Amino acid sequence: MMTGSDDLHVLLGAYVLGGLSDDDHRAYSEHLRTCTQCQAEIGQISGLPRLLDLAGPEGGLHLVQPPPGVPVPLMKEPDDERATTLLTEVARRRRRRRTVSSVLGAAAAVVLFAGGAWLGPQLFQSTPPEPPTTHVTASAPGSPVSVDVALVTRGWGTQLDLECSGLPTDGALTLWVVDNYGKESTAASWNATGSGYTRLTGSTAVPSHEIKSVEIRTSMGRVVASART
Amino acid sequence: MGVPLDEDAVAEIYREHGPMLRRVVWRATSDANRVEDIVQEVILRVWRQAPEADNLRAYLITTARHLIVDQHRAAGRRPQEATLTEIAERDSALDQALDQVLVEEALGRLQDNHRDVVRCLYYQRLSVAEASARLGVPEGTVKSRAYYAVRNLRVILDEMGVTR
Repeated sequence: MMTGSDDLHVLLGAYVLGGLSDDDHRAYSEHLRTCTQCQAEIGQISGLPRLLDLAGPEGGLHLVQPPPGVPVPLMKEPDDERATTLLTEVARRRRRRRTVSSVLGAAAAVVLFAGGAWLGPQLFQSTPPEPPTTHVTASAPGSPVSVDVALVTRGWGTQLDLECSGLPTDGALTLWVVDNYGKESTAASWNATGSGYTRLTGSTAVPSHEIKSVEIRTSMGRVVASART
Repeated sequence: MGVPLDEDAVAEIYREHGPMLRRVVWRATSDANRVEDIVQEVILRVWRQAPEADNLRAYLITTARHLIVDQHRAAGRRPQEATLTEIAERDSALDQALDQVLVEEALGRLQDNHRDVVRCLYYQRLSVAEASARLGVPEGTVKSRAYYAVRNLRVILDEMGVTR
């Protein structure tokens, strides 16, 4: 059979895998001497036979029908439970939820809520993490104070995003951070607003995992709200 | 690019690559109890590092390889006993086991009609004429399928990080 150059080119596959007739083998060998394109291609795939041998004499599991009755549990699709476990772990690493309580006077224990802290891909500066977008807020009946704190891990320390309502309506307020050793430092200060509503962002050099609690205090030192992390 | 991986992305990675990773880890470690742990750790590592990976499959496999090698070394550590040669031999055996699984995976990802041709020509040592009769297609078709089979196989292996 006469073969044109295109037809010869295609013989590369059977040349590498085996099975060419003597005529075709001779024709392709001849072609290969002068065809730079085929030479380049064969350079790329010449390692294939050695790799194919790794799969065993019959090519491994995809080329051999498994004997009936032999369970192949690892071939199963992942089940939901496993995926759920994985996703739970992901959620845990992604976001540390903190449930905290706040004190206001004697009676009204106020549950402050919880923020999200992105603890994830700090290692990879090329893909900066997004600030947390999920906030959980809870407030106890009977108390006007509600504060949502998100602790965001940054390279320089911790960013604290606060959304507060029901705060005192006059005087100066200060955000304090208490670390695991009991050391206190201020992370933000601001003047009360008439509405008692404030959104602000504070910052501290204390890493988020070393922050034990967060407190909002008046200029007189009275604790308006505290959040244990 | 640049989109942080979220739960959906992780679930997607798990769905798409979990079975393959599980096979690879199982074959490389032969420790059924640890397969799932290793697979999840691999996916979490890749997720945590949020790679803008063009080639997630290779990234996952490379990560799995490192993880298995590290654990392998830790488990077999006998500072006074293990010579460098022994460590090298152990790693080399592990590499070969991994490559074996990856080649099987690659064959599994070939189109059926390409895989049939590889089976006939390579593993069963049939001639093109015999493969043509076996598969019920013209010889020219066997040849062109063989051509695309080896090219695709090379691409798939490259994608998996098998560059030899």
